[in-house]
Amino acid sequence: MRELIGNILIVVALVFIFSGVYGLFRFKDFYPRILISSKVDTVGLITLMLGIVVKSGLNFFSLKVLIVMVLFVITNPLSTHSIARSAYNSGYKIKKEKSEKL
Amino acid sequence: MRFENIVLMVLTILGVASLVRAILGPTVWDRILGVNLLSSKIVMVIVVFAFLVNKSYLLDIAIIYALFGFVGIVMISRFIEKRGEL
Repeated sequence: MRELIGNILIVVALVFIFSGVYGLFRFKDFYPRILISSKVDTVGLITLMLGIVVKSGLNFFSLKVLIVMVLFVITNPLSTHSIARSAYNSGYKIKKEKSEKL
Repeated sequence: MRFENIVLMVLTILGVASLVRAILGPTVWDRILGVNLLSSKIVMVIVVFAFLVNKSYLLDIAIIYALFGFVGIVMISRFIEKRGEL
């Protein structure tokens, strides 16, 4: 039973990560790409770590997996913010969306 | 073949797909974004492999990789923002 719940969580995590990588090739501009990919990637990593914790049970291994998860949740938005701030301060303008003329 | 082997194969394919964006990105920041996504995929691969062979000390490599990836990304983006002055 615990095995089945862990496998389902890991499959959901793979679907999240795949949609993040698909959004990396779907959008044309830089700011939508960094918005989509970083957020969906963090959610995928949280779900995959929770699936491995559920499959492994409570012991020393799952405690270290939780430490990796907390550290990654803290550092990944900071690095994404640093990249976007570097692009904005260097003069990379946000493109206006062209309104569709009917 | 266990379930974790298939998970490792899918994660490796997704990591290669995010490395393609780092190779053909139009601007510098696209390349940095691709390397950032690749480092997060590598952390996931290390954790799943440590669960597959059931060795606990492999997770230390994941912690060190996440910390050094964070410091490297922040330093490179500051270096580009200040135009070579840090």
